[in-house]
Amino acid sequence: MMDAVAMTNERNQMFRDLFSGKTPQRVPISNPATQDFAIQYAGLDLAECQWDLTKLEQVYNKFCQDFFTDTYPGGSIRIPSHYQILGSTCIVMSSSGFMQHPEVVGLLAEEYDQFIASPYDCLVETILPRLYTELNGSPAKVAMALAKAMRAKSDDLAYLGTIQAKMNAKYGYATMVRALTEAPFDFLADFLRSFKGISGDVRRCPDKVAAACEAVLPLMIKKGTLPNSSMLGATFIPLHMAPYLRDKDFATLYWPTFKKLVETLVGMGQKVELFVEQDWMRYLDYLYELPENTIMRFEYGDAKLVKEKLGKKHIISGFYPVTLLQTGSKQQCVDKAKELLDILAPGGKYWWQADKSIINLDVNGPVVENLRAVLDYVHENGSY
Amino acid sequence: MIDLQVLTQAVGDLDEKAILTMVKDFVATNPSGEDAQKVVFACQQGMAIVGDLFEKNEYYVGDLIFAGELLSQTIDLLKPVLSSVVTQKVGSIVIGTVEGDLHDIGKNIFGSMAEAAGFEVYDLGIDVSPGAFVEKVKEVKPQIIGMSGVLTLAIDPMKNTVKALNEAGLRDSVKIIIGGNPVNADACKQIGADAFTTNAAEGLKTCQGWVK
Amino acid sequence: MLGGEDKMDSKYYITWEEYLADHPELERKSKQAIEPKIQKYEDIMFTFIMDLVL
Repeated sequence: MMDAVAMTNERNQMFRDLFSGKTPQRVPISNPATQDFAIQYAGLDLAECQWDLTKLEQVYNKFCQDFFTDTYPGGSIRIPSHYQILGSTCIVMSSSGFMQHPEVVGLLAEEYDQFIASPYDCLVETILPRLYTELNGSPAKVAMALAKAMRAKSDDLAYLGTIQAKMNAKYGYATMVRALTEAPFDFLADFLRSFKGISGDVRRCPDKVAAACEAVLPLMIKKGTLPNSSMLGATFIPLHMAPYLRDKDFATLYWPTFKKLVETLVGMGQKVELFVEQDWMRYLDYLYELPENTIMRFEYGDAKLVKEKLGKKHIISGFYPVTLLQTGSKQQCVDKAKELLDILAPGGKYWWQADKSIINLDVNGPVVENLRAVLDYVHENGSY
Repeated sequence: MIDLQVLTQAVGDLDEKAILTMVKDFVATNPSGEDAQKVVFACQQGMAIVGDLFEKNEYYVGDLIFAGELLSQTIDLLKPVLSSVVTQKVGSIVIGTVEGDLHDIGKNIFGSMAEAAGFEVYDLGIDVSPGAFVEKVKEVKPQIIGMSGVLTLAIDPMKNTVKALNEAGLRDSVKIIIGGNPVNADACKQIGADAFTTNAAEGLKTCQGWVK
Repeated sequence: MLGGEDKMDSKYYITWEEYLADHPELERKSKQAIEPKIQKYEDIMFTFIMDLVL
């Protein structure tokens, strides 16, 4: 049995190979289940555990023990404490304890010019007070709320970081860093103009939408910058709105600043990992244009076509349908993993991830058994 | 008098300025309720064009959302002149995003398209418990229930809602359609729904088939 | 240096050069020790603010 440090080294090498376009010793694997899943798997209360993080160490221990993965299975986590302290309306906990993003409008249509003139000033002065009730009020009240929230988030992140370090030391995971940013158009849509708002803007004031994307690009680049570009890791960019746009709106409003974002980050020596949400099959020629070895995790679409069109240039991931884990038999789930492995693994440049994260768990359902079978199958059969 | 064919085409083209100008001019003539009803019908036919273009991949979800907004603006303009007419509904639907899920974009698109097609739509909002669905069904006795969900977790609460309807003895009185990102034929079967869709225009056609 | 900040042009994000111009009293102190610290919290604040809308 290899010790954990050696395993970390081996896994880091696997990802270094993958990211630089070399064929790694086997297909690297990331468990698609998240912290929310892990809490339910441990039989604990979802809401309570997200507030009282001291329960999470045992949660992760069991989760890491029982499911194979090469990377720490924390997923992207929204911790409730600082959202609560700030009076968040844009990230809230649902009745079942999941942190979610309802449709909100942080920026009004008539505020485009103000935003374009100085996006960061507009965020601080206009958008945040609208989205976070405690950031709206007297300067003293706002200052207090901000200080409490920053301290809360910093404490929580430090605590989660300690758990992650312990799990890495125990289970020998790859140690990768991550930065998060968004395509300018998605940034404008998600918390600022809303899905509905941006859908109208695209027809009513496309020039302003384009100008706002240009204006916010430097912020998105800065947000996506890793502490040090030589670190093993990637800038994660979840893509959202493109499948809901007409081709010509995508070409003029979405793509130009997104492409610049990726090219700039890569130019700084970083890797970029895209979560290609929904179905992007009509945009494959665009994706091809991105810098070599961009990591693309797909949700839906034709894996064969993607491998054929993009697989020699880029690193492909995703496609495994997590819904199947809930509705299929163990054999069907494993067969699907085999099918994707046969399509995507040849020639390297494949990272096993699912089409989306698994956040819920019906304890009486088949997901646990099916997920474990799939992860083990890919681990055992993914060698090159 | 307003040219209804031109209006229908303008709605199909999502030409906001043309639609609003025509409808405002029409309302200014102080028209009869019957004529206003014809204008609503022309708009509904325009929405059918929008649905067709969506199915042909000329329009996408963003266009459907914009269409819904245009239609509600138009109806608001027409309301004062429509009030004297009793409108004939083609059927009634209770919709909601299921428990634990706060996403409402898909549900809202479907809701506005169903309204445009002449359905009475009762929208229960987001994070709707099985009990709340059951209560509303008892109250308004709809022909159809539409459950929406985006998260992978939405399948369990959909199943629970169908179970609750069964226990309340209401399951056989309604058709159930589910919509959203995680649904497919297998999930539909497991949940015990009558139909599924990831496409609001297609879902609406299914519903129209049920109330014929 | 981090990307993009040169173009941010915001009253809520201050570069070290701008900060130093406003605080001439620091000119004769050990700037190499002060700069990274001042810059670090400027950046932490930026990340915190941006994460609220991501």
